[in-house]
Amino acid sequence: MEGIATFDLLTGMVLLTPLASCLMCLLTSERYSWLVTIIAPALLLVSASLSVFLFFTTPANTSHLIGLAWFQAGQYTFNGNIELNRLSVLMMPLITVISFLVHLYSIGYMAGDNGMRRYFAMLGFFTFSMLGIVLFDNLLMIFVFWELVGFSSYMLIGHWLEKPAAAKAAQKAFIFNRIGDAGFLVGLMIVWANTQSFDLSNLLHLPEIYSWQTAASLCVFCGVVGKSAQLPLFTWLPDAMEGPTPVSALIHAATMVAAGVFLLARVFPLFTTDALNIVAVTGILTALFAAVCALNQFDIKKILAYSTISQLGLMVTAVGVGSENAAMLHLVTHAFFKACLFLGAGSVIHALRQARYQAHENFDVRDIRNLGGLQKKLPVTFFTFLIAGASLAGVPFFSGFISKDSITTSVWYWSGDTFSWRWLALISVFAVSAITVLYTFRMVWSVFFAKENKPNLSITETPWIMRIPLILLSASSIWIIVSLSPFDASGWFTIQVGDLQHSNLVTLLSSGVVVLALLAAWFMNATKDKPVNSITFLQHAFGLDLFYEKVVGQSATRLAALTETTDRKWIDGFLHVTAYTQVSFAHVIAWFDKYIIDGIVDAMAWISGVVGSFTRSFQGGKIQLYIFWAVAGLIIFLFFELI
Amino acid sequence: MIIIIKQNAIMVLLGIELLLNAANLNLIAFNQLQPELLTGQMFALFVIVVAVSEAAVGLAIVLCVYKHHQTSVLSELNELKE
Repeated sequence: MEGIATFDLLTGMVLLTPLASCLMCLLTSERYSWLVTIIAPALLLVSASLSVFLFFTTPANTSHLIGLAWFQAGQYTFNGNIELNRLSVLMMPLITVISFLVHLYSIGYMAGDNGMRRYFAMLGFFTFSMLGIVLFDNLLMIFVFWELVGFSSYMLIGHWLEKPAAAKAAQKAFIFNRIGDAGFLVGLMIVWANTQSFDLSNLLHLPEIYSWQTAASLCVFCGVVGKSAQLPLFTWLPDAMEGPTPVSALIHAATMVAAGVFLLARVFPLFTTDALNIVAVTGILTALFAAVCALNQFDIKKILAYSTISQLGLMVTAVGVGSENAAMLHLVTHAFFKACLFLGAGSVIHALRQARYQAHENFDVRDIRNLGGLQKKLPVTFFTFLIAGASLAGVPFFSGFISKDSITTSVWYWSGDTFSWRWLALISVFAVSAITVLYTFRMVWSVFFAKENKPNLSITETPWIMRIPLILLSASSIWIIVSLSPFDASGWFTIQVGDLQHSNLVTLLSSGVVVLALLAAWFMNATKDKPVNSITFLQHAFGLDLFYEKVVGQSATRLAALTETTDRKWIDGFLHVTAYTQVSFAHVIAWFDKYIIDGIVDAMAWISGVVGSFTRSFQGGKIQLYIFWAVAGLIIFLFFELI
Repeated sequence: MIIIIKQNAIMVLLGIELLLNAANLNLIAFNQLQPELLTGQMFALFVIVVAVSEAAVGLAIVLCVYKHHQTSVLSELNELKE
């Protein structure tokens, strides 16, 4: 029992330390804002080391529930239980470690920024909310934290709020997430209406499969589509690259966008076969779509953004084909190598921004056409970027290969022996792998190998505080981190992730695809000085944004104008007429009140006054008069009596 | 009539005496309806006694009032009214 209590305490500390970091950053005064660069990473280090400790000490396949009553509404009790299971124990160190590294990196990257306090506070808050999603056992609670990560993402994308593009991107991300979350909310309602419970420990162990589960799970998937940037709601993610690069690494590559995949894996038993098919199709389409777009980008961060979408698509596909373990494995490996890639891109941007500042030149440092030949000047960045890039491309001996291989294997088994539409999905997965290699090679080549574009710049390597996270993250992209064998996923790591399928044939096939694609990429890029030209249509994500702007945006604006006119003319008009009628009626009533009712009352008062003064006149205080009246009354009385 | 008309309290008291005398006369006269009982005469005697004491007390009060207010005119004695 002693051990259990320690677990509770440690989990609570892991969850609350980032929140404490957020609060302390906000409480630090502006004068001592340099303090936050020490406080925030230190607190995150505490959280990260505790969660790593939990990861290694929690027995495999545990499911330990920490009961926390939340509130009571009528006869229903809402629990905010924290559950320690293999998923949360896996996600906790992933989030906190990457968050810690990003904190470290940000010290260098954000040096001299005015909004340091806000920045670190929001990073802490984001980490806290993300841990909330991972830890809580209650769907409603998860939804609350789901919204909180959306909020902190909004705040961090728009960190440079003086940049109109950043502000716009933040709003776009927020709105797109709301569209998805509306679906999530409907899903919650369906779940509640049918089970009267939000506790996942109940929901995931339903006695049979009900028909409402298809609708509910698809609605939950709608939230995932928003958060994990799947088709058709993915266009916010490339725009979100306006935020600071460490933020992109933490939120828009490693953790928040992966929250969708995590949620899918978490509520996996809720999904029916039909729902899973839709999930798989959405995932594979997104993966293919985004990979093609990534191939046509010039902005280094946008390439990475589209590649993230594409990899998320692969993870969603893995969930769709029923292998949520493969999805989780890819989530973990992807988090490390994509965070490394983003931080690498950040350090390229950082180095070039300083060089540009010194040379008094003005060019877009994020455009890969302006980069080139950096492998000598930024050796650490180059080396880590290369390792992480190889992992992304799925080159054997890197973690990305193993996880992608397990996804491919699960799709292979899912597609079956006889030809069906599922074979198209399988082919698409191979195509995505090939395109991934192509765009990764194109990016690495044009940034580090291609002929130097601006040789007169004096580019210096980034400070050590930025290099350490890069080195650590790239070290986590080697195959050892997953399993001892570079070709088989089942290693010590899978004890936490869960069982995975393995097929030698698929491993061989995917290695072949990668090698072929590498060769193709070599011929496409190495023979030219400039990056391969892009197709503008594909560069703008198949014109999806234009479509949203023209069709959805404009029709929404028109609808808004229409409702405004209706509101102003008809509803307000009706209200005004009613108001006027009421006022006129009130005047009539006022007149009636004043002259009739008050008049009656006044008349009564006047009459009683007259009567009073009349009767008073008999009582003049003259005793003789009283006698006179008494005698007179007696006489009158007698007169009437006697006659 | 004297009671009602006269202004002076003494005159009013005088009126009251006359009134009582008139009542005595009535009592004696109507005693004739039952002559053997003499109730009327007895009552008249009783009234005379009361009238005498009443007159004494009344005159004493008037005297006190006169001492205090320097007047015995009834309409001027309106301290309570004001």
